[in-house]
Amino acid sequence: MDTSNSLQDLGQFIAKEIGTDILRWSVVHGELMMTVEKGSISRILPYLRDSETLQFSQLMDVCGVDYLGRTPRFDVVYNLLSLVYNKRIRLKIEVEDGMSVPSVSAVYSSANWWEREVFDLYGIPFEDHPDLRRILTDYGFEGYPLRKDFPLTGYVEVRYDEEKQKVVYESVKLPQAFRTFDFNSPWEGMECAVQALEPKHTEDGREVSE
Amino acid sequence: MGIKKPFLTNESLKAGYGIQAIPEGMDPDALLQSLTQEVSQKGFIVTQLDKVAAWAQSGSLWPMTFGLACCAIEMMQTAAPRYDLDRFGVMFRPSPRQADLMIVAGTLTNKMTAPLRKVYDQMAEPRYVISMGSCANGGGYYHYSYAVTRGCDRIVPVDIYVPGCPPTAEALLYAILQLQRKIIRERHYSRC
Amino acid sequence: METLEQESKKTQNFTINFGPQHPAAHGVLRLILELDGEVVERADPHIGLLHRGTEKLIEYKTYLQAIPYFDRLDYVSPMSQEHAFALAVEKLLGLEIPIRAKYIRVLFSEITRILNHLLNITTMAIDVGAMTPLLWGFEEREILMGFYERVSGARMHSAYFRPGGVQKDLPLGLAEDIRAFADRFPQVIDDIERLLTDNRIFKQRTVSIGVVNAEQAQDWGFSGPMLRASDVAWDLRRAQPYEVYDQMDFLIPVGKHGDCYDRYLVRMEEMRQSVRIIKQCLEQMPEGLVKVKNYKITTPPRAEMKTSMEALIHHFKLYTEGYHVPKGETYTAVEAPKGEFAVYLIADGSNQPYRCKIRGPSFAFLQAFDFMVKGHMLADVPSIIGSLDVVFGEIDR
Repeated sequence: MDTSNSLQDLGQFIAKEIGTDILRWSVVHGELMMTVEKGSISRILPYLRDSETLQFSQLMDVCGVDYLGRTPRFDVVYNLLSLVYNKRIRLKIEVEDGMSVPSVSAVYSSANWWEREVFDLYGIPFEDHPDLRRILTDYGFEGYPLRKDFPLTGYVEVRYDEEKQKVVYESVKLPQAFRTFDFNSPWEGMECAVQALEPKHTEDGREVSE
Repeated sequence: MGIKKPFLTNESLKAGYGIQAIPEGMDPDALLQSLTQEVSQKGFIVTQLDKVAAWAQSGSLWPMTFGLACCAIEMMQTAAPRYDLDRFGVMFRPSPRQADLMIVAGTLTNKMTAPLRKVYDQMAEPRYVISMGSCANGGGYYHYSYAVTRGCDRIVPVDIYVPGCPPTAEALLYAILQLQRKIIRERHYSRC
Repeated sequence: METLEQESKKTQNFTINFGPQHPAAHGVLRLILELDGEVVERADPHIGLLHRGTEKLIEYKTYLQAIPYFDRLDYVSPMSQEHAFALAVEKLLGLEIPIRAKYIRVLFSEITRILNHLLNITTMAIDVGAMTPLLWGFEEREILMGFYERVSGARMHSAYFRPGGVQKDLPLGLAEDIRAFADRFPQVIDDIERLLTDNRIFKQRTVSIGVVNAEQAQDWGFSGPMLRASDVAWDLRRAQPYEVYDQMDFLIPVGKHGDCYDRYLVRMEEMRQSVRIIKQCLEQMPEGLVKVKNYKITTPPRAEMKTSMEALIHHFKLYTEGYHVPKGETYTAVEAPKGEFAVYLIADGSNQPYRCKIRGPSFAFLQAFDFMVKGHMLADVPSIIGSLDVVFGEIDR
């Protein structure tokens, strides 16, 4: 387990080296994470990989996160590992809906499929990617499944049609819908109803009737 | 057992074949019908051939390896020495053309339905399908997912469903034995 | 006289589909191979034929309901995945689990390692042509799955490692049976090794096949035995120890050449080291609780649930609403038998994970397949796939 002190030092060192491209960084739960400018990722990663004092030689994971309701909407997160110094670092970039991200597959070969997966599941395109196509979802799949506004059950399902002698896609018909439960307690969840019942007050405390 | 004489005689009736004699003067159609009735009622040898064929078939079910996910591991464990399937005549064949049973073991995703149907179509009649595990039965643990087919019976007709997640190797063994009983019970060559 | 000009023949590479249904494909792998005669020019793996939407489903379930999804990822070594998730949630909750639970987790992690390596080595052997190790190895797997069943109730998908510890204590007699297994098992490894390691045919099919050197292995994101076989001494159990691995005495095998044969040898030796760790766990395991006694996170014992009102309410709340995990994110990795299995968990304070990214090691291995198989012949493709140790539950999720 890493001590937070050494990670704090590491974070400060990297922040000093990279400069203004780092928006913010922190050490939480013994892990160092930095949020950087989107356009600078293709410069920062080679630096992290090649610098003698850092040597983050492995890109372990690239993933996307959808914060629906926040602008910028998406986050792309890079998790790096240094074998020589036994350290991990997490880099995040914030991406608007519809914007593209520079690809790092020229820096780390393993980024190829990870970026394809982020494109497939979130719809974030990567510039200069050697082979950007869908990887996990079906061949003619429309939509980006892991976005928060994509329904869990999707839009289409398959069955085999005897007359047409092939597999056909139809819209989803569930015999029993997915049951989501609202776990907010009644005291917390009923804000709007409570407000409607309470009488409105003007600034000097007189009640106003509707 | 060819019937050479085209009509019945009272002597054959007395011999006890239990067949209705046709009164004289009836039209030839009724005659033909009675003849065919005699064949099917006297179908002793056809039935025995049926039984032998069904016994032979059930005793040498050759499944095709169609392991998709975790149930495939349990399928391999059933073929392993402890629950040995080979002693039941079950030999896994890699090619669908040489197989007469397909065990759909694992989750069937939408992307995989086309290959599944293709492989099923390549199997020769008579062919059987065992749906193994709750994912193949009805979508299972991933029933509500966007990328999963809710049961392989949407794509291929299924004979035996094996519940479980995954079904233990013993359960799959029981399913194969049940399929053997089903074949013996239901296989009738003269009717197909 | 006319000189006959030779017509230049235009040849095209032969593209074949190493289809999704294939005995050597180790699951549902669709490989589009471009062949120049017998030599593979390019390989394009099509994955996603087992993509079940696990990550999206996890976002709709509580933390307790999400645990069984992890079992079904790498289904030949189920408990390692649960381990990563349990560690991630415990880090976010700030829990410290009892020492006995840590020993049980290490014990079953090593049993899982043996399960995985037995399957991988014996199926690689059968792809290469040797049928007997499969039969011997699977009988040992049956015994180990019997241990899984005695401790959790299910042979494969046990849902045993949960945030807060393990679900139930070891039943009576199990420790002695595991010790008896650990005493007998090295003989089985020796038997399999006698068949394969010095076997001329096996060596011809695996030595110098699929060579990956150290820099390439790191570039492609390898981890676990794939990385160790390429002369990089890196094991998370030593470098970033979790549970009680820092108190265990074991060696890490490292290969020199990075070919399929080295990977096979590394996995064989890792099985022997796992037996060592199992024996140490059984000797050192203390008595005590097996899960944190905080009933807001772990389940109360059933007897107590039937008599005490608070325990009943805790049980009810735990299985319906579940516990709320405070806001935070973590990337937690464990040394799964295949490599580094990690969970990137983002919690938003509610009872359901906000985002749970699963980083399976096989995804990186299969990515490098095209690079590894260039220039090899078609018959080497099953050898390389076998030594890669890929499982599609983990790749496609």
